[in-house]
Amino acid sequence: MTGQALLWGGLYALPIFVRSDFLLTIFIFTFIYGILAVTFDLIFGFTGQLSMFHPAVFGVSAYMTHLLAVHYKLPFWAATVPSAAAAIVLAIIVGSICFKFRLKTFYFAVVTLAFAEMIRLGVMNWNSVTNGTLGLVVAGKPTIYWPGSGIVPVKGPIAWYYLTLVCLSLTVLVCARCLRSWMGRCFGAIRLNEDLARTLGINVFRYKLLSFAIGNALASFAGGLYGYYTGYIDPGYLGINQSMEVLAMVLLGGQGTLVGPIVGSLVLTGLPHAIDLRAEVRSILYGAILIFTILVMPRGIVGTLNAWRSRRGA
Amino acid sequence: MALEVRGLSKHFAGLVAVAEVSFRVAPGEILGIIGPNGSGKTTLLSMMAGLLAPTVGSVLWKGREIQRLRPDLIAGLGIVKTFQNPQVFAELTVSDNVLVASHLALKRALGARRGLEVLGAAQAVEHRLAARVGEVLALCNIGAAAQQLAGNLSYGEEKMLGIAMALMCDPELLLLDEPASGLGRDEVRNLETVLDNVHTAGTTLCIVDHKIGFLRGLADRVIALNYGQMIAEGAPEQVLNDPAVVEAYLGAGHARA
Amino acid sequence: MTQLVLGQALNGAIIGAMYGIIALGITLTFGITGIVNFALGEFMMIGAYATYALADRGGLPYPVAVVPACLIAAAAGYLSNKAFFRFTRNNLVNGLLVSIGLISIFESASMLLWTATPVEMHFVLPGALRLGDIGLPKMKLVVFAVIVAVIVATYFALARTWLGRASFAYAQNPEAAMLMGVHTPRLETAVMLYSTGLAGLGGALYASLYSLEPAMGGVYVLKGMEAAILGGIGSLMGSLWGGVILGVIEGVGSIFLPTAFRDAYGLAVLVAILLFRPSGLFGDE
Repeated sequence: MTGQALLWGGLYALPIFVRSDFLLTIFIFTFIYGILAVTFDLIFGFTGQLSMFHPAVFGVSAYMTHLLAVHYKLPFWAATVPSAAAAIVLAIIVGSICFKFRLKTFYFAVVTLAFAEMIRLGVMNWNSVTNGTLGLVVAGKPTIYWPGSGIVPVKGPIAWYYLTLVCLSLTVLVCARCLRSWMGRCFGAIRLNEDLARTLGINVFRYKLLSFAIGNALASFAGGLYGYYTGYIDPGYLGINQSMEVLAMVLLGGQGTLVGPIVGSLVLTGLPHAIDLRAEVRSILYGAILIFTILVMPRGIVGTLNAWRSRRGA
Repeated sequence: MALEVRGLSKHFAGLVAVAEVSFRVAPGEILGIIGPNGSGKTTLLSMMAGLLAPTVGSVLWKGREIQRLRPDLIAGLGIVKTFQNPQVFAELTVSDNVLVASHLALKRALGARRGLEVLGAAQAVEHRLAARVGEVLALCNIGAAAQQLAGNLSYGEEKMLGIAMALMCDPELLLLDEPASGLGRDEVRNLETVLDNVHTAGTTLCIVDHKIGFLRGLADRVIALNYGQMIAEGAPEQVLNDPAVVEAYLGAGHARA
Repeated sequence: MTQLVLGQALNGAIIGAMYGIIALGITLTFGITGIVNFALGEFMMIGAYATYALADRGGLPYPVAVVPACLIAAAAGYLSNKAFFRFTRNNLVNGLLVSIGLISIFESASMLLWTATPVEMHFVLPGALRLGDIGLPKMKLVVFAVIVAVIVATYFALARTWLGRASFAYAQNPEAAMLMGVHTPRLETAVMLYSTGLAGLGGALYASLYSLEPAMGGVYVLKGMEAAILGGIGSLMGSLWGGVILGVIEGVGSIFLPTAFRDAYGLAVLVAILLFRPSGLFGDE
């Protein structure tokens, strides 16, 4: 428990000691991707479903949040709600199809990938709305209520740092609450032994769908944040490499843990910028890390640490 | 009359595993199902628990047809089955395994309000369930192993864990698939005690086994299967000495009782 | 109109044959060794670029360049198996993840070597055959013929010989096969070499018709997977049929719906197959 307290305390206190915009930016991206990674782990590490659908909700909500804000003059936060709703609807449709047909892990990955690709093609070709491959420029800023100053836009690395950190914290909090409850027990049971779970009265279809819906709904917030932070959205958000990056983060950091994906996100976001690499070399590194982690360290950093710690304690 | 099996058959691409079996299970009784290997006992039990859809026939629970229902719904109605090869959640501790099985109990306690438990607002129910987990573990004599990983248990302990999980679901009818197979003499005696206690508490039991001695002392009534067909039904001693049953087990030369 | 449909269908069938040869590699690898090689497209890419390098840059005549290109692809396949794939036997998720890692590595390496700018080989066999109003480039027909010949030959080699039966015995029960004298690691290596070599051949043939870019592997492996699933994983001839059917659906479909969605047809068919007939059109239940 104290490890967690140290971690979060450290993260919240960090801007006091770290002033470099460059480093703060790395953390901002870490937190946004962290939301994606944690929510992906909810579905994959905890419930055992290898979903390749995350990029679809990431991209769709990025577009939706921006477009709703612009066309309906909504503030950022108001626009994220319908986007999250859209993510839930998509997740329920795709999830119902996949889970109704009881697709096994590998085929579930392939079908979710197929659906994500179809959505990407749709987004890419719907030029009138999405501007196709040219992408959209996001000029708006999220606004928050700051006591004393009223409604202010979020500007500058420190504001963004705390905004994204709070969003990540809330995501982790929600996931943790779910996982520590009967819901989490059902997810774990489904991951470990679906058939046994059924005979014990667990409606496997319903809880797979629940995990899938929650994971995708929370992930949608990352889309809105990313679009607004980088100021640019294009169909690449929905591409397969987003899946690969998130997967690499979760595997490296430790699947089946809540902190692992964040650690993975930090390493994989920070490292390429710390070591100045060309994009291609970075990709090679991703690939190598992915392979290394699966074959040598399947539990990831945090998982291996946990195992090592309990072995010492026991 | 709690459970009725009517004309139940199961065909697997040319092989008839169960052929028009009909019988009833009275509430509170212990029914034994015997038969040599391959006689269709496990298939029959699987159909009763909703794990397998019958080709023909029906299973009625308190007058309602259940053979097409999902296994989790059937468990919710009060019928729980254990597995011949013990099925556990290997990466969880023994007590966590039983805690997973508390799902039905939680549903019954909170119903639609179980969202409260997620928010941490159902402490009383959680405490009750945790206490019940301890009770069930003690009842099955595996309390000492509570913190061990289920994957590290011995075969006998795994089987008892399977029964503990089933008991946690508070079943009205407990279907046991060869609970005594693979167990040593002491373990079998332990199992008999546990099942006796469960029975006294009011649960109906339906036990499949091919160890005749085990069922002889435990069952109120016994039915015998051979090649998917029911060949005898009645009091244990009567069935076990039935020439058709003896022949099924030992071959025609031993048909003289 | 019918000429248009026919023309699209024929072109689609030829592209489909290319999907088919990748599908064959996937089906062979998974069917015999239980390893899912989702990176097969990368070996196609290696074969394609190797052919380009040897023929265009190196000056070798095209047919001569194809052979070492296949060997290079097969060698890469051998190394990938030795180092990574053999540890993912029967673990579909790990195989998929390792494949994803390899795709990253190979694609980026190719980008470093050749940049993202597409390269094109000089014409290998100019000229076309005319069928009524439809013109079919001769090279395309050659490619189609070669692929079909290779797939059919593979089918006969495996269906009718001792090696083939041994392979399928291994697939069913590796220990029993080993006890019966089938040298299992060698078999696994052979399958990997052959399937990646096939992919390399596909790439070499592709290079004679289309322009190459580092990301080509990703597209083709997805199509190959779709074709393999459509035809039924484990069915050798099924991979050819699956590929051709897929190619024809895409070709004809793009007459009626925007070409931008061409990839979506295959995806929709894939989803439908996985949901309703997971064993594919020619697989056994």
